[in-house]
Amino acid sequence: MSDPMAGEAGSRAVTAESRPREASSIELEGVHKRFGRDTVALDGVDLTIQAGEFFTLLGPSGCGKTTLLRILAGLEEPNAGRLKIGGRDVTDTPPHRRSVNTVFQSYALFPHLSVRDNLAFGLRMRGERAAERDRKVAEVAEFIQLGSLVERHVDQLSGGQRQRIALARALICEPDVLLLDEPLSALDAGLRGQLQVELQRLQKRLGMTFVFVTHDQDEAMVMSDRIAVLDSGIIQQVGTPGEVYEHPANAFVARFMGHDNLFAISRSEADWVETELGRLQLDPAEQRDAQDGWLLIRPETLELGPEVPEGYNRLEGFVRERLYRGSRIEYRLEVNGQPLMAVASNLGQRMHGVGDSVTISVCPEDLVRVAS
Amino acid sequence: MRKRTLNRGLAGFWWLTLAFLYLPLAIVVLFSFNSTNSAANFTSFSLRWYHRLLGNEQIISAFYNSLILAIVSSLVALVIGCLIGYGMYRHRHRRLGWLIVLIYLPIVLPDIVFGISEMAFFVQFNRLTGLLEPGLGTMIIAHVTFQIPFVALIVYSRFVGLDPSLFEAAKDLYASPFQRALHFLLPTLKPALISAFFLSFTLSIDDFVISFFTAGPESATLPIYIWGAIKKGVSPEINAIATLMIGAVALAAILSLLFNRQGRR
Repeated sequence: MSDPMAGEAGSRAVTAESRPREASSIELEGVHKRFGRDTVALDGVDLTIQAGEFFTLLGPSGCGKTTLLRILAGLEEPNAGRLKIGGRDVTDTPPHRRSVNTVFQSYALFPHLSVRDNLAFGLRMRGERAAERDRKVAEVAEFIQLGSLVERHVDQLSGGQRQRIALARALICEPDVLLLDEPLSALDAGLRGQLQVELQRLQKRLGMTFVFVTHDQDEAMVMSDRIAVLDSGIIQQVGTPGEVYEHPANAFVARFMGHDNLFAISRSEADWVETELGRLQLDPAEQRDAQDGWLLIRPETLELGPEVPEGYNRLEGFVRERLYRGSRIEYRLEVNGQPLMAVASNLGQRMHGVGDSVTISVCPEDLVRVAS
Repeated sequence: MRKRTLNRGLAGFWWLTLAFLYLPLAIVVLFSFNSTNSAANFTSFSLRWYHRLLGNEQIISAFYNSLILAIVSSLVALVIGCLIGYGMYRHRHRRLGWLIVLIYLPIVLPDIVFGISEMAFFVQFNRLTGLLEPGLGTMIIAHVTFQIPFVALIVYSRFVGLDPSLFEAAKDLYASPFQRALHFLLPTLKPALISAFFLSFTLSIDDFVISFFTAGPESATLPIYIWGAIKKGVSPEINAIATLMIGAVALAAILSLLFNRQGRR
């Protein structure tokens, strides 16, 4: 499969004809959702998603991200709060009257229908004429390069094909907003990586607002314009992938984004903090509110070597483990009895062996304070 | 070597079981084509007993009673059972598991107990209201009651086998509640419903005990007729009816199985 979603003819067809409308923004105000008496799925969510944005809801299972997506789709009703799509309040609008379509995690293709009838289902329910439906189905089938499959039965398709059909079935309706509920999680790693890129390109080309749900922070960073990280029904942080990764709002976000090097701050002054690693100089701009919290050291900012550049923090430790990852080398170090992870690009330099003493230097500007 | 012997033994056992199941039926079928009325010696092939059937008004009327009873009761049970099956599915997450027992009970209850209860009920009902004289009407009601659980369970198990997000996909793709029923629920259920219909049909045609207790003087079905006729001895005519019934029931059962399998694909 060679990048079918980027097909030139298809893209022109869809952008020129199927997207006459402007993309829609989404506004959520004070959205609460409870299940049963005491399971809180969403605890006061305020969020604005810009028109034409690729927005990702990221979090561990049970964080409320899927519930939030289902509220956008209308499949779940919030207990409190309002929801506006394209400026219109749709809080009480049932799902079949919302111009929102969903790509389900299981794809949810109707087993009693052919691929063609699956693609045309939404158009048919909206009462579009048969000729119009056929034209759009032909167009979208060509667009996803699965035109030869339209007469097939759903159970004769592979996982990747089903995924595409599910996406096409949602896109063919030209919704204001497209919702994607972990649509790539059932695919193997290779196909998944390819589809991440394709989906992102597709979204840029259509200019449609995409809301994507995933628990995979790498996937979220690759694809999104902005990410909302959720935990326990609360939005922990909203930001671009860079903001969320480099300046996590709190320890939860930092850990969830894959950071291991977090150290409790025991004392802090204007330009230094004290942690189990020792006293470290900070960029004074990183001061923020001077509460205690955590110090985040990104493994790729650590330099191993005898020389410590002027103004850098110096740490002494030794290598406990070395993991060879091809393009990079991971060192599990120990400093002051604390584990510290460092990552070096594999540029052919001499590697440090297990047990070697190393001098570690880190620029004060690379140290980040993270709230508890 | 020993494995081959074992396999042969198992194959032999299989044929023995089949013979045990089907030889009695084969004898009935064979003697229905006998040219004499001997139940011991097969003389020559003839269709005379089948011709005799056609001339027997009691049998023709019993045949029609059986057919009307089976078709009407199956259709009614299909509608009610389908609704119950859907309801069971929709509310499966509420703690209503114990309600399922109420659905299962008629299946495991002995027919004779069920039949007597129905009869007692209809007698009381008739005494109080003057309605529901014993006859086809009471039989249809009785048959519907024992067919419903089978229909409900077939429908329920079909729904349970479906991806729950299909229901949501239909909503998401602009289908109103009515359109969802028409374009999603019914087509998805179709094989299960056809299968349930044929199963109900077979159960109704087969039934003797419950029919016997709820029938009126004019509403004898084939099994009731056979029961009456047999008191005067087994005639080759009975063999012919039995053969026809075996054929009809086998056909309905096979259709039920085929459609059920198609639904599970």
